[in-house]
Amino acid sequence: MRNRVRSSIAVLAAVLAVGLFVPAAGQAPKKYVAPKTPWGDPDLQGVWNDATSTPLQRPSNVGTGVLNDEEAEEFQKSLAHDLSRDRRDGGNAADVNRAYNEHWMDARRLKITADKRTSLIVDPADGRIPPLVQASPERQKIQAARAAGAQRFAAGLPDHYTDMSWPVRCVVRTDVPPYLPTIYNNDFQIFQSPGYVAIGPEMIHSARIIPVDGRPHLNKGLRQWLGDTRGHWEGSTLVVETTNFRADEGVLFQNANPATFTITERFTRVAADSINYEFTVADPSTWTKPWTALIPWTKIDPAEQMYEYACHEDNFDIVHFLTGARLREKNGETVGQQRPAPAGGER
Amino acid sequence: MRTIQSLVVVSVALIVLALAAPARAHHAFNAEFDANKPIKFKGVVTKMLWVNPHAWIYVDVKKPDGTVEEWMIETGTPNTLLRRGLTKESLQKGTEIVVDGYQSKDGSRRANGRDLTLPNGQTLFLGSSGTGAPYEKK
Amino acid sequence: MQVRRTIAFAGVAGVMALIWLAMPLSGQQRPSATPQFASTFRAQRAADGHPDLNGIWQAMVTANWDLQDHDAQPGPHPELSGAYASGPAGQSIVEGGEIPYKPQALAKKKSNFENRLRVDVSNDKTWHDLGDPEMKCYMPGVPRANYMPFPFQIVQGTSPYILFAYEFTSATRIVRMDWKQDAPTDSWMGWSRGRWEGDTLVVDVTGQREETWFDRAGDYHSDALHVVERYTAASPFHILYEATIEDPNVFTRPWKISFPLYRRMEKNVQLLEFKCVPFTEQLLFGKFIKPRDSAR
Repeated sequence: MRNRVRSSIAVLAAVLAVGLFVPAAGQAPKKYVAPKTPWGDPDLQGVWNDATSTPLQRPSNVGTGVLNDEEAEEFQKSLAHDLSRDRRDGGNAADVNRAYNEHWMDARRLKITADKRTSLIVDPADGRIPPLVQASPERQKIQAARAAGAQRFAAGLPDHYTDMSWPVRCVVRTDVPPYLPTIYNNDFQIFQSPGYVAIGPEMIHSARIIPVDGRPHLNKGLRQWLGDTRGHWEGSTLVVETTNFRADEGVLFQNANPATFTITERFTRVAADSINYEFTVADPSTWTKPWTALIPWTKIDPAEQMYEYACHEDNFDIVHFLTGARLREKNGETVGQQRPAPAGGER
Repeated sequence: MRTIQSLVVVSVALIVLALAAPARAHHAFNAEFDANKPIKFKGVVTKMLWVNPHAWIYVDVKKPDGTVEEWMIETGTPNTLLRRGLTKESLQKGTEIVVDGYQSKDGSRRANGRDLTLPNGQTLFLGSSGTGAPYEKK
Repeated sequence: MQVRRTIAFAGVAGVMALIWLAMPLSGQQRPSATPQFASTFRAQRAADGHPDLNGIWQAMVTANWDLQDHDAQPGPHPELSGAYASGPAGQSIVEGGEIPYKPQALAKKKSNFENRLRVDVSNDKTWHDLGDPEMKCYMPGVPRANYMPFPFQIVQGTSPYILFAYEFTSATRIVRMDWKQDAPTDSWMGWSRGRWEGDTLVVDVTGQREETWFDRAGDYHSDALHVVERYTAASPFHILYEATIEDPNVFTRPWKISFPLYRRMEKNVQLLEFKCVPFTEQLLFGKFIKPRDSAR
């Protein structure tokens, strides 16, 4: 009997010992240490992809920030179904848009993030963009004019190339911070040299060259579409501040006010094939409080590349939109009085 | 216990909202193509223009009276095709395809390709790969 | 009489001495009027073990107006802008002076130049037929990007990719140090494969869109263009740039350009933005907008 007790205790002790030194399921193994470049900066070099189906904002009746495995699988399936362009339900009007179908999309955009969050926003805790602040009367007027142009464009009746958005005009695209996932070309290439980190978004072929040597921002009088960026290292995180945005409306996310908008981005290599991209945006003229989102970036297969995205050079569509509008005006169509599309899938 | 059902219902609404984000919206096809002008014809590929933001496929369509019309079919970004392993040579000149789509709002011989199908029924550019299309045989 | 002859002789000798002194000295005795690059210069090494080409660089030649010899010229509308927008004179950067066009290829250069300020994008198929692509704010291709009057930055780290970021229309190109195959598709800035030959970065560029021009004089190429560049640090502040251009459709033989690139030394200098697309929209798309007097 004593031997059995002793052996039971031995077994228990062994189990406890193993339990103390082996990480429990769900805990991270020993902390990842990012490699460094020869000059001592954390190494972020490579091509990274940020596609995901996880929505920016948490669906409103989802009470939790993180799903369990079963829920996550359902979440991913339902998102994939809703986002899919291969569906033929919905009549001609929906069908026209979905002609730009799944083949042309980044397949990774139908996958939720590995950490199974229900929103990319991590602050506020409800995972939603804070309430909007009403814009000043002057800005409301400008925004209303832009919205009218967008409405004309959506109806296929733009008056002028300024009725089209900045991305459609090929001025900026996913290169304006914060970087958000989109339907395709979700790649970013990072280059580093002593004193610099350069981030090249795929759309539209620009390089955000970030001095990390402590020099000041440009003076206030110089303003740029992508702002002026400075970085510094906090441990192994690259902390990036951008100022000096141009005054044009409609460039920043949710029509934020370039005069009062601020953004801080953080890049941390958390695994050999993963960077955590976190941004905090604030604009007292647009949101009642700042908000933060976290988007994982995954290193792509080395055989894949970031390719040139030459947008303006062959932007035939601008002409098509405008000539189409002129012809339809000649035929008497107006924004409020377009011929409705056949319903019920009639072809 | 929270049901998955409600998750599904609400996420639909949210996605619609998210897709409406103005500054990042890709242009909707319905701004350029007309839901009232569906087209379906058979034609022969003459070339493919690998350009951003949209690649274009040129198709020669023989009309009943024997004349040939050239159509341009608007598709997606070439960079997405490159990532699927397709190359400049993938859509071979001379391939016969059936185009099912919608014509340009300005009435010109341009369309978007909702379905591009080979005569034997296999589809091109539809959803994910694995359709047995010519480019996959390489 | 003898004294006078001696004096005369001395005078002549003196004049001849003066003339001799004024003549340029020959060979090794001639002192250099301008400083030369030290042939023994060895560039500092970057972290990749090769010469450090990191920095912001800019050409000083006026080759963007014309690769070959060119006089000063008025701008497109001197009656509106006077000396603004006019072009300076410049010496050819082409080895041998002239670009070796095939005789039948010169006609297109001439029509390019005559049409350099015209555009017509009403028909997709003839979209690129008219106008200098620079004027339309299209990416300039290689080598033109390197002699535009704008700076560019080289970011050379320890990945197999070297970034060239150009201020003009924020164009970028990636020099791939590990890529062996052909260009997967054509692009405006081409597909660049790099390697080191001793202390020279050699970049092989193929797959360029045929629509780019070499300069505002209408010098052009076909889709068979093949460019091989050589970047050699000549001092801590200079890179000697050379490019060999080959296109059997347009030229009778390969030809070479060269010029120094200068390091921008201003305090806290950085690339700024030159996003010129909005400058071109009225020119390109103005004729398709809704006429102002039509009722909505």
